[in-house]
Amino acid sequence: MGGDTGTHLDSFRAEGGQMGRPRTTLYVVACALVLVACASDGAEPTGGGGSRNPVSPSTSFPVTVEGSNGSVTIQDRPTRIVSLSPTGTEDLFAIGAGDQVIAVDDRSNFPSDAPVTDLSGFEPNIEAIASYEPDLVVYSTEIGDLGSSLRSVGLTALQLDAPVTLEDAYEQIEQLGIATGHQDEAEVVVAGMRAEVDSIVESVGPAEGLTFYYELDDTFYSVTSDTFIGQLFSLLGLENIADAAGKGSGGYPQLSAEYIVEADPDLIFLADTKCCGQSPRTVANRPGWNTIAAVENGNVVPLDDDVASRWGPRVVDLLRAVADAANAAADEAAA
Amino acid sequence: MRAERQTPVALPEVELALEVRGLSVELDQRPIVTDVALDVPAGGWLCVIGANGAGKTTLVHAIAGLLQHTGEVSLWGRPIRSLKRRERARRIAVVPQLPAIPDGITVEQYVLLGRTPHLGFLAADGPRDHAAVAAALDRLDLPWAAGRRLETLSGGELRRVVLARALAQEAPLLVLDEPTTGLDLGQQLRVLELVDQLRRTEGLTVLSTMHDLTLAGRFAHRFALLSAGRLVAHGDRADVLAPHVIAEHYGVAVRVIDDGDLGWAVIPAPGLDP
Amino acid sequence: MSGVVARRRTIVLGVVVLAAAVLAGLLVGPARIAMSDVFGWLVAFGDAPEGVSEQASTILANLRLPRVLVGGLVGASLAASGAAYQAVFRNPLADPYLLGSAAGAGLGATIVVAYGPSGSVELTVPLAAFVGALVGVGLAYGLGRSSLGGRAATSLVLAGVAVASFLTAVQTFLQQQRSETLRQVYTWILGRLGTTGWDDVRLALPSVLLAVATLWAVRRLLDVIEVGDVEAESLGLHVGRLRLVVVAAASLATAAAVAVGGLIGFVGIIVPHTVRLMVGGSYRSVLPLSVLFGASFLILVDLIARTVVSPAEIPIGVITAFVGAPFFVAVLRRRARTT
Repeated sequence: MGGDTGTHLDSFRAEGGQMGRPRTTLYVVACALVLVACASDGAEPTGGGGSRNPVSPSTSFPVTVEGSNGSVTIQDRPTRIVSLSPTGTEDLFAIGAGDQVIAVDDRSNFPSDAPVTDLSGFEPNIEAIASYEPDLVVYSTEIGDLGSSLRSVGLTALQLDAPVTLEDAYEQIEQLGIATGHQDEAEVVVAGMRAEVDSIVESVGPAEGLTFYYELDDTFYSVTSDTFIGQLFSLLGLENIADAAGKGSGGYPQLSAEYIVEADPDLIFLADTKCCGQSPRTVANRPGWNTIAAVENGNVVPLDDDVASRWGPRVVDLLRAVADAANAAADEAAA
Repeated sequence: MRAERQTPVALPEVELALEVRGLSVELDQRPIVTDVALDVPAGGWLCVIGANGAGKTTLVHAIAGLLQHTGEVSLWGRPIRSLKRRERARRIAVVPQLPAIPDGITVEQYVLLGRTPHLGFLAADGPRDHAAVAAALDRLDLPWAAGRRLETLSGGELRRVVLARALAQEAPLLVLDEPTTGLDLGQQLRVLELVDQLRRTEGLTVLSTMHDLTLAGRFAHRFALLSAGRLVAHGDRADVLAPHVIAEHYGVAVRVIDDGDLGWAVIPAPGLDP
Repeated sequence: MSGVVARRRTIVLGVVVLAAAVLAGLLVGPARIAMSDVFGWLVAFGDAPEGVSEQASTILANLRLPRVLVGGLVGASLAASGAAYQAVFRNPLADPYLLGSAAGAGLGATIVVAYGPSGSVELTVPLAAFVGALVGVGLAYGLGRSSLGGRAATSLVLAGVAVASFLTAVQTFLQQQRSETLRQVYTWILGRLGTTGWDDVRLALPSVLLAVATLWAVRRLLDVIEVGDVEAESLGLHVGRLRLVVVAAASLATAAAVAVGGLIGFVGIIVPHTVRLMVGGSYRSVLPLSVLFGASFLILVDLIARTVVSPAEIPIGVITAFVGAPFFVAVLRRRARTT
């Protein structure tokens, strides 16, 4: 599926066999010059997560990376990256590729200096994307043959879909590192994440075994431990009350209010604070919910919708928030 | 619920049950009936005849107050416009040519619909209404069918059921639109004889439309001949159902027979001089 | 008369079935509460009796009981409205959403979800759905009533289709503008009783009682209108007035049902038709029985929706379709054999 970059080269070759090679060299040199020029425009420090190193022209292009859409070959170091995935955006900036990004979609609100546009990852408009003349498009959801549409207009498209495990998320960061010529920085980021995750997991001592309910929306959709989010909680040793409902629901069952009340979880995590206006106060107002331990003891934890729905470096922040809440609950119970 | 319950209408002792003056009906801006006048004596039977498309059904529907019209219609001296819907329905019962047969209801429930004008908007039916229904079924030899579903009845039986509904209305004027539609000869005669008997015993006045001139002539007393929406003849049988009149407006030569044994009949005789 | 006796008997049957459904709804649920506890709680209504945990009592009082009540109200509304619409439009496929009430409710809900203040969604969505439903019907009625005589019913239906299409188009457009609202509106469309509480009972009860009582009161006239507008007029019925009263009452009932339960389909057609297969076409029986059996049906369907994949729930609109169809076929077969 790296055929789109192949056509690039073919168009050069078509201009004449012998003339092909010199032209390619000329092109690479020109690119390198352009890159150096861009880099010397001054790199502002990023808002959070990942440092920016000065650009070092990569020596290892072309590369082939593994996306959710298979192998993607990237001919040259991309300097006009369009990201349609909020997680992709966070990853790119974290590994230092932020100045290679020229446009991100309307939901990519982190980091704050990412170049947000009207482009939509939900309703992608191929023409609008192509008008930016990107040399790499990163997206996460395959909406209506997005991938093949992008390739049909000659664009390089890398899909990084929602991961199943934390390892998959690390893998995506590393792939992006290779794809953008920031392999070293990516490895540093991932190593940092691993270390933090380990330390957070260790810090959760007495909270192990506490039960929790994770709320996706106000009609009680939840997640089981088979999902990415669910696995994070499992890492901390917390027990998910939705697991009993997991069979055949694709990991996202809609729970019954009765069941939640009966299960009496120690912790409630709200991932619907932004979309559906839920808060510890609204939860306490629900009929019958005031008898739940989490509500009685004030262990209803509002999470940032965005952080909870992405799988970039801020996943660590999510884990930390959860661990802190769990520890606090455990301490209270012990006291 | 004790809403208004009416006994049959008390009628003034006038000679004319129905008086129509200058009746015109327009549908979709085309004149269907123009300037019709007729009289029906109380207890009598007037039959409206005419070729297909002459406007017979439109005329009787307008008289019954079911169509917009200009002109005057008086029932027992009272202009029909001054009557409210239910008052009018207590005076006129209409038996349509092609009645709607609702699904899944019984004969008894259907005939009970005839009591609607006697019950208010929210009233429920009572013993008086059930008695009227029973009486109507009885007159038409239908008590055996009371619990039967309408769709299980034959054409002739259905027609009697619709007539029973009209009877249950206890209205003094009965309007019959083509009452012989869909019936075989024997059934046709039986229905018309029944109506005639009811007219005589209950004092009903009958206004009907018919396309069969022989049957019309045998049962009705007064006739109105409609041609292209206009009244071209109005009077008794000898005046209206005369061969030259029929030839002119039906376009066919006929012979009228009034024989002691055979009774009265109109016979098409195309080869004859009118 | 035997008709009256048979009718009384089936109404008694309807009441018994409803009582059984309510009881079943209270006894069964994802939270395991012993039967004896439920009965104990019922007997000592109001206070948590001894032996029953506070939690079980809370679940029964604040979750199950209102949910069963709302299920009954919604089922009764939809079935009665469906039956009444089938009468005044003389159309066996008429359902309560005929005149644009569903589209109006959906649009109201979408507007609130997309543009409303995100804090008070619980209360504003049902209200917006309620108002939207009434607006939808009002538009359809205003558009369609200009036609007279025999075409009045058809004109109203056509106006309803036009209004529904337009409002649905607007709703779809708004959803595309704010695509993050898609899932919320979608779950609402599928129909849900999962978040019902006493607030929903208070919202729905007055409207449903008023509307269903009105339809119950005019059931005799629904039989009259079955013979067609012209014949009904000749019988002294004010056809236009009856149609207006029925549309107003049915719309009120449907709006309340949709406000608290979302768009639950199928009930408004299947229950009246099944009742007709049992007792014939006269609305004197069909209307009351539709109310009773509609309530029972929805309570039982909701029971299935929250137990089959317990502790997860299936949207109730999905269940009504699955359960209703084979049930209808079974009744149809039974009828064919006995006739």
